[in-house]
Amino acid sequence: MNGLPAREAEDAIVGGTALVKRFGGIAATDSVDFSVAEGDLVGLIGPNGSGKTTLINLLTGHLTPEGGDVVVRGRRMTARSPHEFAALGVARTFQLTQLFGRMTVLENMLVPGLTRPGSTRESATAQALKYLSFLNLIHLEGLEAKNLSGGQQKLLELGRALMLEPSVLFLDEPFAGVHPRLRDQLIKRILELHASGRTFVVVDHDMESILRVARRLVVMARGRKIADGPPAAVRANQSVLAAYSGL
Amino acid sequence: MRGLPTAVLLIVAGFVLAYAHTFNSYWMHVAIIAIFYGILTASWSLLAGYAGLFSLGHMAFASVGGYSSALLVQWSGIPVPLGMAVGVAVCCVLGGWIGWVCLRMTGPYLAIFTLAFSEIVRITVSTEDQVTRGMTGLHTVPLFGSASRLPYFYTAFGLLAGSLALMGFLLHSRWGLFLRAIREDEQAAAASGVAVARFRILVFAIASGFAGLAGTFFAHYNVVLTPDIGDLDRMAFIVVMTVLGGMERIPTAVGGAFCVEFLLEYLRAFGIWRLVIFGILLLLTMRFARNGLLTPLWLQFERLGDVRTAHPMLRDVTHEAGQEGANG
Repeated sequence: MNGLPAREAEDAIVGGTALVKRFGGIAATDSVDFSVAEGDLVGLIGPNGSGKTTLINLLTGHLTPEGGDVVVRGRRMTARSPHEFAALGVARTFQLTQLFGRMTVLENMLVPGLTRPGSTRESATAQALKYLSFLNLIHLEGLEAKNLSGGQQKLLELGRALMLEPSVLFLDEPFAGVHPRLRDQLIKRILELHASGRTFVVVDHDMESILRVARRLVVMARGRKIADGPPAAVRANQSVLAAYSGL
Repeated sequence: MRGLPTAVLLIVAGFVLAYAHTFNSYWMHVAIIAIFYGILTASWSLLAGYAGLFSLGHMAFASVGGYSSALLVQWSGIPVPLGMAVGVAVCCVLGGWIGWVCLRMTGPYLAIFTLAFSEIVRITVSTEDQVTRGMTGLHTVPLFGSASRLPYFYTAFGLLAGSLALMGFLLHSRWGLFLRAIREDEQAAAASGVAVARFRILVFAIASGFAGLAGTFFAHYNVVLTPDIGDLDRMAFIVVMTVLGGMERIPTAVGGAFCVEFLLEYLRAFGIWRLVIFGILLLLTMRFARNGLLTPLWLQFERLGDVRTAHPMLRDVTHEAGQEGANG
């Protein structure tokens, strides 16, 4: 269960092989293999410091690996800039919400919309309003993003990522600090988007929320991938239980 | 900007141009210097206010532009406008290079780096007196043969109007949105597909080009060019003017330059104390009106004749959403 799942390489939208990243001598990711196939809804879990966010940063171009390679749709992308990943349809949100605080909700949406080739302000605005409506944020389009509640900010960050019309979305702790009602709304939207063909990788500590969305579960501990497979099988895995209970 | 405020601005500009010949020589000089600062504050606002790149090397580019143009015209005998164009091009290239070198720097690190660059330029210009005449001053070829200041005023006015139009065009395009996104959060901008490095280099090059334009004009207007043009006092002036006016909007930054320059002349009787007055004003602005003193006025002015309440596309979307809800 600890290796790459048996998937054809051409199925993978984003993949990393033997990814190594160290901070101050400590390996945040230690030779990790990870791939996301079209239509996946992967839950990436693990205790604090297990390397989940580092792995996302490596797979979206925000960090450069010291070892291993990152591939997007068969193209080697190691050491490329994040905007090049975005151009290939790799979108992400951040662990601590990172919006353009002094820009309006609509402007936040327009930034990624206008980076897409061939987009016009009219087409990007129409697309932004459609997604804001989908996320129940349409009534806030003129408000500065810093004035939104925490949950609304998470939704807006998801909307901003959707504006790239991505092939895969990496959501880093989307449920953290979100009111249960908004969390339910977020889960509902993720499941709807997945049903419409979107691919997701969702990172979170909240096992209950992750299990409500994930179709495949990947577990990390101490910079290594310790399990990868269907949620039911992973939950029964002894090394996963040990990692979570600290045994 | 909407139709009515634009029309008001055009009427005011037309009025100023039509009655410019009635200004006396002294106040016309003050107006020309205010316009010179207006181009500098507008371009610094583009860099620091919109893109969040707090550079203290802006006056160094005015100095480089001024000396490049003055020396080129003197040595090669090319027409002054051509010399000015070359000076601007030199500043764009140098600005782009500085932008590239300090790609990974922000906040105080960027400020210190550009401050050091500015001092290197100033000391080099001061020291190489065989070429630049150092503190004695370089006598430059004037832009016009006439002793009247009126043609200089019209030229300065035209340069400011052209600069503002170009900057306005840039900021109302998608580039303006990307620059503000970079200011707010570089990492999130990159994740949204913005080529952060490219835009940082580009905005440095463009802003430096405008600073160079102001410098070249000053060089061929003032006729004597000294290294003082690029000293820290002038840079502090630019910062004070921009911050007092409002650094996140180009018109307020220009307004700040005009207000400070005219008030400095008006309060000349106070001697050195007028600078203390401005210091206190700056302290109060930072404490009580961080967006600048002119920003609220400008926002009111922008709303003149504004009757719209919602985004025009919003009605269609909410209507569709309502229908979907009714159907679902």
